[in-house]
Amino acid sequence: MNRTMNLEQRTALTGIGFVTPTVIIIALILIYPIIQSVVLSFGQSSIDGSEPYHFVGLQHYAKLMGDSQFWNALGVTFTFTALSIPLELALGIGLALLMNESFKGKGLARLAILFPWALPTALNTLIWRWMYNSDYGLFNAVALQSGLADRPINFLGDTSLAMGSMVVVAVWKTSSFMALIILAGLQSIPKDLFEAGRMDGMTKWQEFRQITLPLLKGPILVALIIRSMDALRTFELPFNLTDGGPVNATESLSLYAYKVIFDFLDFNFGAAVVVVQFLVIFAMSLIYVIALRNKD
Amino acid sequence: MKFTFKGAAGIAAAMALCAPVMATAQDLVMSIGSRGYGGMVERNIKAFEAANPGTSVEWLKVSDVPGDSRKLYVTGLTAKSPTPDVFAIDVIWAGEFAQRGWLEPLSDYLGADTIAAYNPSFLSAATVDGKVFAAPLYVDGTHLFYRSDLLEKYNIPVPKTWEEVIAASKTVMEGEGNPQLYGFVSMWAKIEGLFMNWLSFTGANGATFFDADGNVAVNSPEAIAATQTMVDMIYKDKIVPDSILTMKPDDARTLFQQGRAVFMMVQDFVYAPLSAADSPVAGKFDFTRNPYFEGHPDGHSTAMGGWLLAVNANSEHKEAAAKLVEYFTSYDAQLAAALDENRAPGRTDVYAAPEMEKAALLKKLGNDFAVGVVRPSATTGNLYPRISETMQTEITNALHREKTVEQALNDAETEINSILGK
Repeated sequence: MNRTMNLEQRTALTGIGFVTPTVIIIALILIYPIIQSVVLSFGQSSIDGSEPYHFVGLQHYAKLMGDSQFWNALGVTFTFTALSIPLELALGIGLALLMNESFKGKGLARLAILFPWALPTALNTLIWRWMYNSDYGLFNAVALQSGLADRPINFLGDTSLAMGSMVVVAVWKTSSFMALIILAGLQSIPKDLFEAGRMDGMTKWQEFRQITLPLLKGPILVALIIRSMDALRTFELPFNLTDGGPVNATESLSLYAYKVIFDFLDFNFGAAVVVVQFLVIFAMSLIYVIALRNKD
Repeated sequence: MKFTFKGAAGIAAAMALCAPVMATAQDLVMSIGSRGYGGMVERNIKAFEAANPGTSVEWLKVSDVPGDSRKLYVTGLTAKSPTPDVFAIDVIWAGEFAQRGWLEPLSDYLGADTIAAYNPSFLSAATVDGKVFAAPLYVDGTHLFYRSDLLEKYNIPVPKTWEEVIAASKTVMEGEGNPQLYGFVSMWAKIEGLFMNWLSFTGANGATFFDADGNVAVNSPEAIAATQTMVDMIYKDKIVPDSILTMKPDDARTLFQQGRAVFMMVQDFVYAPLSAADSPVAGKFDFTRNPYFEGHPDGHSTAMGGWLLAVNANSEHKEAAAKLVEYFTSYDAQLAAALDENRAPGRTDVYAAPEMEKAALLKKLGNDFAVGVVRPSATTGNLYPRISETMQTEITNALHREKTVEQALNDAETEINSILGK
């Protein structure tokens, strides 16, 4: 009896020993900057040291509430997330079902589907920027020569088209990531469930609705959490594709924070933007986590 | 063991011997882009080292993209790093860096006549509270490039005014009947270059950023009229492609070089690629000063840019660093840079040099600087990046017709006043 207790204790101790270094590293590189950002956002200081740090309370947050560029950035971020995630999910499920079937050239198809995701976002974005170009871009050349358009379409320079153009790039790139996670879920569904379904005379659609989809709930939620967090802090995409333009139509929160911090060198106000963004993402994750828990 | 000990002792002895020499030697670090000033950096450093025995200069090559080198400098300067001792700064940073106390005033080191020789509008960008904080190294500005062959074909004299540019564009576009040919291109993406463009247009109509009393005057009637012309060029005159709203300088250059534009307003760096042997427009283009609006022949329409040299306020060798700056901006060194590397001198007396007759191109560029307009970076200092961002946003609002020109510029005035705390 005593021996088992000791073994348990020892196991626990070993576990703690293994976890401690990781916890320390996470605390240093993750938690410290978060605390530092919060501290910065409640104070005023100058980066050249001419003005030492002093507490100003909610001053930066009050300014934020009246800052139209911040509200615009928040709106852009939500719009981008709300438009891209459902499309990515739908396309991701479709691709996963496709990849799960056995057909000739399956390996090649899987490779092709994963390719956009494997490329760095910045590189992807530059390729797309070139294709969207209204003077020498691929899309306009096709549209003009086939007679679909009688004048060049300015995909990235038109305020009403830029967001859509950006969503297309995001969907193209990250649907395959969704597909990958969902595919893993698909392959863990026991085959005998489908056999049983077929014996009961289920159609393909009924199989999908009543077996596949309910059992995919977990993987789908995981994919949604990861992708939503990505979308809520999207930076490389607007930075490289449009630089937030035209007229801030694609300026995401991250891009706005970047400009405040690195162009205006206003670290305190920039920290306030970052803290709000942190809270938004935190709230979003909480909603998902609660949804996940209810499932179990 | 014994061997290692002997070795260490030898090194220690050698270091002891060197120590007195090290103390008197001055090792300067100079930071400038590897392309920006061409082959002149190495030439000047060698000559400077020869003339100042005991002083060595290490060249720290930084990015030629201003935003990147700016971030590098800001990080080091914030941490009070003593190096680089001398660094090249974009004209628009001078006011901000000086206000933040990062630059050593050069007035204490350079003679009054040296300072008097520098380009005055550039010098004003680097002057804070009556003190000069940086010395102009080279100047560049925007010019109106045009297709001389096309203007000749339609018997159109080189236009002097925006009215003439618009009329000429229409004549050539109609005459050529090529839907791929545009009248005018420039950099109207939401970048610093857009603000430069706007200053060219409004300056050409006699408008200024601040009025005589120092009030923000971005929404003066002259500025509104000039901005309206920009909007009309896209939607009414249709001489400008929609894509101009996403163009950066090199995008405009590419179109012009492909023979797809009659006029282009950009900086002088495009001259070399346009006149290269394999350029389709080589020998078919020329440039002139940026147009003015009818009735404003004195309008300051050449948006100026360029680089200055400054001394780090935390440098441990300020005296030697200032000497290096003086050497780079000396008459002889600047003349050599002009003749051999086509860099427009930052001092005005060089333009009068007899040798400059041979540098016809540079002389022509320099003439346009007489009607130069600098960005309001000296007066606004560390608030300048935010002001530029506001102007870029509101000008873009007007160009996209999200707001009327008047509304956009009124909003810009309100916003800038709030940034300036007025």
